[in-house]
Amino acid sequence: MNIKHSFKIAYKALKVNKTRSFLTVLGVLIGVTAIMMMVALGSGAENLILDEISGFGGETIVVRPGKQPTGPTDIAGTLFNDSLTERDVELLRRKSNVPHAEKITPFVVVPGNVSYEGDTYTPFMLGGDVNFFVDFYDAPLLEGDTFTESDAKQLSKVAVIGDKVRQELFGESDALGKDIQIKDQKFRIIGVLAKRGQVAVFDIDNLVVIPHTTAQKYILGIDYFHEFIVMARDVDTVDRTIVDIEATLRGAHKIDDPEKDDFFVVSLSGAAEQIQTVIATLTAFLSSVVAIALVVGGVGVMNIMLVSVTERTREIGLRKAVGATEKEIMQQFLLEAILLTFIGGFVGIVLGGILSFLVALGLAQFVASNWSFSFPFSAIVLGMGVTTLVGVVFGLYPAKKAAERSPIDALRYE
Amino acid sequence: MADKLIEAKNLRKVYGEADARTVAIDDISLDIDKGDFVAIMGPSGSGKSTLLHILALLDKPTEGTYIFDGRSIDKYSEDELAKLRNEKAGFVFQAFNLLPRTTVLENVELPLLYSDIKESDWQERALKAIRIVNLEHRLKHESAQLSGGEKQRVAIARALVNDPEIIFADEPTGNLDTKAGKDLMEIVANLNKEGKTIILVTHEEEIAEYAKRIIRVRDGKLESDTKTK
Ligand SMILES: Nc1ncnc2c1ncn2[C@@H]1O[C@H](COP(=O)(O)OP(=O)(O)OP(=O)(O)O)[C@@H](O)[C@H]1O
Ligand SMILES: [Mg+2]
Repeated sequence: MNIKHSFKIAYKALKVNKTRSFLTVLGVLIGVTAIMMMVALGSGAENLILDEISGFGGETIVVRPGKQPTGPTDIAGTLFNDSLTERDVELLRRKSNVPHAEKITPFVVVPGNVSYEGDTYTPFMLGGDVNFFVDFYDAPLLEGDTFTESDAKQLSKVAVIGDKVRQELFGESDALGKDIQIKDQKFRIIGVLAKRGQVAVFDIDNLVVIPHTTAQKYILGIDYFHEFIVMARDVDTVDRTIVDIEATLRGAHKIDDPEKDDFFVVSLSGAAEQIQTVIATLTAFLSSVVAIALVVGGVGVMNIMLVSVTERTREIGLRKAVGATEKEIMQQFLLEAILLTFIGGFVGIVLGGILSFLVALGLAQFVASNWSFSFPFSAIVLGMGVTTLVGVVFGLYPAKKAAERSPIDALRYE
Repeated sequence: MADKLIEAKNLRKVYGEADARTVAIDDISLDIDKGDFVAIMGPSGSGKSTLLHILALLDKPTEGTYIFDGRSIDKYSEDELAKLRNEKAGFVFQAFNLLPRTTVLENVELPLLYSDIKESDWQERALKAIRIVNLEHRLKHESAQLSGGEKQRVAIARALVNDPEIIFADEPTGNLDTKAGKDLMEIVANLNKEGKTIILVTHEEEIAEYAKRIIRVRDGKLESDTKTK
């Protein structure tokens, strides 16, 4: 018997048993759909989280004054602590002290709001080097320029603003060159940052950056800093750099007992590691959900296949009685199983794709605006592969057992 | 002396073990010539069906030698046995055993699927077999739409379609009324007249009257073997 006949028989058998064929297809379909959805949504979530933290430079080290806060009330303490000084910056910048530091940028936090012609807005305002954001956080200028070292030295009243701040104060009209009011001082806008959104802990669009010297002298009336951000050369040198920073600052502050530190160091590599752990956990969780989906889908297919073949033991007996060989019986059932699982798998992939697309749309709308639809090829291979394999194995195994019986045994089976 | 189609020597068939052990046929020897028409008779449970299944190559004896068409069945491979079942033998079951939700034509074509016959000849062959059992007007009917007598005629057409040497029938009239049974037996007797060897199991004397030879079994043993015509 040739393969064409096998196909014919298989097709006829499927057509004759419409309900059973439909149920089998449904079993495969549900399995594949579940797998597709789990994988698609899982990888969507993973992408989202990876995206969120991708701005997190693992090389970033933050130095803050005072004790490491243990609760939200401690944070206010760091704003009024005067332990981080200009001299500390100079010492840290010396290669002999901290050899692996790429760049050290001191910042002050400027509370309050900005206004332009009566419009007032409360941005996140910092005194510091705006180039830090341009260089390390990949926030290019939309127009204008950044300020320079000499602006800092001359206490220039200049500002670079983020896209949202521009929108709020100027709408569609030009912002560049305009003077905005901070406290009772006028600052000229010399640069506007391009729309960038959230990067690491900063909402770039909501930033206003002015030279730290200007902020210290004209607005805050202080000569210390709220924060140093140190960039290590790479992730591997972060730990050594932290040790160097601590040694340098302790020397400068004449501290010999680390318990009495008047500053603390936070490394984002620690945070990045934590996030890595979170992702690993998430991935493991998703994998087990997918595994469960696979098992559920597989058991469904297995069940329907076992029933469908067992139910047809008499048919197998009859076919053998009229001259079918074992091989021909097996061929028929193999083709049937493949046809069923293929149809179910195909529809399942399409359905799973559509459903996860809809869910992704919903999530993007209501939960996380930057949730993106992702449909990994591996899901198709996995979903199709496993259900087809299960279908074929559990279709063939009972068929083989039935085909091995003597025709009369199979015919008498009930 | 006619050609021997079947030679069975000391056939035994034992089912089960220990307490459940049943000797269904016990030391039966018989020869059947080509063109013969044999009725196997005996009380219920005497082993008629078991014997017929072995002779029809649907089952194997536990002991004894069975020579079909000049060769011991031990010497045939499974695939060769399948080929014999397909080409040399046709089987009619008491319970019809038609494929459900399948038309008369497709049911009759079933053995052809497993034969070497070209697909283009299938329909013609099937129609020829259906004509013999007078069912031309039911070609597209599915099995559920047929009467018992019609079903059994479909089964006979299916047994005939590959033009076998011998036809085996296990109580083919068992589920039919007297009239339908008689019609069926006319067809069977005609087939024998045209040269087909027939072996059928029955417990109805009227049916056995159509045969040329009656073999009686009791408790798995051969009781008598008489030529009637
Ligand atoms: N598959 C089997 N397993 C166990 N015992 C069996 C099996 N088939 C038949 N038997 C036993 O073998 C004996 C002969 O059975 P068989 O079906 O050949 O009888 P029979 O003469 O055809 O009876 P009936 O006229 O009722 O059809 C019976 O006792 C039956 O119980
Ligand atoms: Mg019987």
